[in-house]
Amino acid sequence: MTDWTFRATDVTKSYDDGETFANDHLTLHVEPGEVYGLLGPNGAGKTTLVKQVIGLLKPDSGSLTLGPTDLVADPDAARQMCSYLPQAQMPINSFKAHEAIKITGMIRGGSADAVAARRNELIEALDIDEWRDTLGAKLSGGVKRLVGFAMVAVWPGRVVILDEPTNDVDPLRRRLLWEQVRRLGDEGVAVFLVTHNVLEAEKSVDRLAIIDEGKILAEGTPSSLKQSDRGRLRLQVMLVPRSETPELPPFVLGHTRVRNNLIAVVPEAAAASGIGWAQQLMEHGVAEEYALGATTLEDAYVRLTGDIEAKASATS
Amino acid sequence: MTAGTIPALRSGPRYWWRSFLMMTRWEIVGLRLLLPITVFVQLLTGAGFVLGVGLFFGQIPPRAALFVSTGVIVITLATVGLVLGPQLIAGQKAQQTYDFIWSLPVPRSTAAAAWIVTNTIIAVPGMVVALVVANIRYDIDLVISIGILPGALLTLYTATMLGYAIAHSIKQPMLINLITQVTIFALTGFSPVNFPKEQLPGWLAALNEVLPLLHMANVMRAGLTEGIVTGLTRSYAVLGLWAVAATMVTGWVLRRRQ
Repeated sequence: MTDWTFRATDVTKSYDDGETFANDHLTLHVEPGEVYGLLGPNGAGKTTLVKQVIGLLKPDSGSLTLGPTDLVADPDAARQMCSYLPQAQMPINSFKAHEAIKITGMIRGGSADAVAARRNELIEALDIDEWRDTLGAKLSGGVKRLVGFAMVAVWPGRVVILDEPTNDVDPLRRRLLWEQVRRLGDEGVAVFLVTHNVLEAEKSVDRLAIIDEGKILAEGTPSSLKQSDRGRLRLQVMLVPRSETPELPPFVLGHTRVRNNLIAVVPEAAAASGIGWAQQLMEHGVAEEYALGATTLEDAYVRLTGDIEAKASATS
Repeated sequence: MTAGTIPALRSGPRYWWRSFLMMTRWEIVGLRLLLPITVFVQLLTGAGFVLGVGLFFGQIPPRAALFVSTGVIVITLATVGLVLGPQLIAGQKAQQTYDFIWSLPVPRSTAAAAWIVTNTIIAVPGMVVALVVANIRYDIDLVISIGILPGALLTLYTATMLGYAIAHSIKQPMLINLITQVTIFALTGFSPVNFPKEQLPGWLAALNEVLPLLHMANVMRAGLTEGIVTGLTRSYAVLGLWAVAATMVTGWVLRRRQ
């Protein structure tokens, strides 16, 4: 029995200058049936990696294999075995939604009848039946995205690569989409999910890697990555727009601020003090509201990839 | 195991043929919104050029009318392959839809073959209408022979493959568009397509002997007229070499990964 595990081993890919690395000795594997998340900020090297899997780019060194198949040496096989939803919208302006899904399924090797049956299932499962006969040009961004997902899921092959699949999709249909992602996994497909939406990924993936600047910073299940945040809580304070970050009390273990959203990590033992501090901020008119809760994968993500604001200001 | 999991890799002539049919369908449906307007523009360009030359010069001698009329259809075919095709690919690159199309599991050659079929569908109506309009306007002595078929096919194939190679090898969509603009300028102004090559300066005529456009005009004109084309075998040979070269470059470009 063939082991169809996807493996990236020591994959290195530099940009045109040959000095900056989009992927820097990346090693990971995705087993059949597994939903694997690749998380990282913009420019972390996620898309570069998946483009090498599908044969659109070639690694400088390292190997990409699917079971016994060398995907770098045989890009034709890579395209037959892996289906790819790119980050950009699909080129389906002239296609009716149902046509786009069916033609892609048939291009991917399915017979007309089998593809049509699976297409109908997906249209129903994603709740997009009302746009079935609508031309792509007239679809909203979110529905077009769902049609795009159906195009790659209709006849998926052994690996499905999804690059930011939920972009523009409404919250209700996002759930439906994640159910179908899970279903692909249940049917034995290895799902390779690229995203920077940490909270969604936490609920959907079996394992994940957090990457930044082309390197894997951490890898594991969502709970194992949150392990070092055990015994800690996240105190989220919504500051008044354009206000300065208030002075932090000594019990705050770490913090990040994205626009008006200040997230402070506090020890469980300091929960009451944390609430007191947040209430004080509200009384002084610095904050509008706050919430105390369990730490999430996002906290681990921020801890590993660094302060987003600090990064943004360093690069601007 | 899901219904869509591939049991074995597909290959062989049946796989090629099925992929070709599917890609042709993909291209034609993909141009559904653009196809009517594109064919219409081709009609206008061809007929407009024929009539425009007449307006500009008033009276045109019969031989010149024959050159213009047969030259225009070469321009309509070459424009589709060398200008319109690359611009459509530049559009895919600009809209970032290029990656999806090239991730589809089909032999690269089937995508190129489907592209040629699509270009033929776009080009042929304009070519026919230009000829009909020319015939009505100038009452020219067309002698249409079977030679027009290989001539038109080779012309369209070479132009399409050249345009395809340019469009796929250049990353920047803006640059693709710029090059195609220059091409159409050279095509209409500096290549002996609408006029005999003797009217060009010696060095430019010599240059055109090795470039494909003069020979496209010759093979087409030979299938539409009698007694005005000489050196037809040489024209087929030169154009054939261009076709082979363009095919090889396209093959290399499509297999190349960065």
